[in-house]
Amino acid sequence: MDNFTPGQSEKLVLYLDGTLAASEIIALENELTRNSALQEELDSLRATREAIRIYGLQQKVAGIHAQMMNELQAPVLNSNHSGKRIRYVLAIAASLLLLVGAYWSYTYFTLTPDKVFSSAYQPYELTTTRDGNASESEIEKAYREKNYTEVIRLHDNDTASSAKTEFLSGLASLALGDDTKAITCLNAVLEKNIISGKSIFNDEAEYYLALSFIKNKDYATALVLLKKIKNDPAHLYHEKVSDKLLRRLNRLQP
Amino acid sequence: MEANRNFPDSELVVNLRNGKRMEEMIKDLYRNHFDSLCWYIMNNSGSRQDAEDVFQEVLVAFIDLVQKDKFRGESTVKTFLFSLNRYTWLNELKKRNRTLLREEKYERQQDKLVADTSDLIADREGKAEIIKLVGELGETCRKILLLFYYENLSMREILQTVDYENEQVLRNKKYKCLKQLEQMVNSKPALQQSLKNLLHG
Repeated sequence: MDNFTPGQSEKLVLYLDGTLAASEIIALENELTRNSALQEELDSLRATREAIRIYGLQQKVAGIHAQMMNELQAPVLNSNHSGKRIRYVLAIAASLLLLVGAYWSYTYFTLTPDKVFSSAYQPYELTTTRDGNASESEIEKAYREKNYTEVIRLHDNDTASSAKTEFLSGLASLALGDDTKAITCLNAVLEKNIISGKSIFNDEAEYYLALSFIKNKDYATALVLLKKIKNDPAHLYHEKVSDKLLRRLNRLQP
Repeated sequence: MEANRNFPDSELVVNLRNGKRMEEMIKDLYRNHFDSLCWYIMNNSGSRQDAEDVFQEVLVAFIDLVQKDKFRGESTVKTFLFSLNRYTWLNELKKRNRTLLREEKYERQQDKLVADTSDLIADREGKAEIIKLVGELGETCRKILLLFYYENLSMREILQTVDYENEQVLRNKKYKCLKQLEQMVNSKPALQQSLKNLLHG
């Protein structure tokens, strides 16, 4: 008979749950090989159990998500201004506060993207090798000589660019004020590294990419990247990302 | 305060596969990878909210693959998550009809990687439908089924969290709930197919 009874359906659930009596398992498995409808019902129950599993996993991740967003978005800045210190400052000189206020107002109202960029930007210097750079490539030589136009030309003519050529081209573009090209090249460094599992100029590319975003007036993306660097003590540029830089960048956001 | 530590890939994967210390492992994935993946999406015409939604989807897909033994450690967790993230986001952008030219070019260059990833997390819509459908089940049924089939609690343990007289009554209720959900699934053949793909994919 190519069908099954309600009692068999309950047995199937016990079988699925691993709680069917051992003596009944063999009989049921034999029946499953003969009865395609019963086998279909078992497949259907397995699919239903899979739906519960996927839902449970999604709920588990969603439950942790909100908590982690709070943790990861915790303000970078805090509490140098403890109550004690504030009270002390207030006590010693109201006039000093006035001066500080005036200075703060001045810096606030005169803050520009260029100022923020300049405060963080330093041209990248290639390290000198033991052989006096005799073995360096054309593009490295051009970069060392600050011939940025040549760096970009060599990069653009290179059909199989490496992380290093992308990096140098990104820096040269940034030095020449072409932030869009800088973003493309520095992004390419990170993507190449992720795909290859290597980390060639990775930290450097992240930092200069963040600066390129500032230049490009994409402050939100720059902030995400700089916070990532700030939160990673092992990052080469960890020390370069100060609270002050993040605070000023925050203020630039619309 | 909770101590934050970085788990090596091998330890992370073993725990996820065995469903052990799940909360700790998921938090570790957030701490180590959310910023990078979020940044990728925000840098490719996505918003912060897009990045959060995609990251959740990526984690569910990743843990599911690990538990089905389809992540074999041939790449690092970071590389793998990045591929899932990129595929999911490109897929979402296509859905929204605004794929970036740059990304299309990149995708062409990375055909194999994207194809491999797309095989692994095919049928995003199907999965979203499944989650929606289970969410439509009554609260009590959902709770009992989740505790039993997802949290792997025994009937005795579940009995302490619900208002039923004894284990047999609870067992009957669980059976009815499972059959109810089965009927809901079977009423949508496309969904049933998605589930079969997820099971045997």
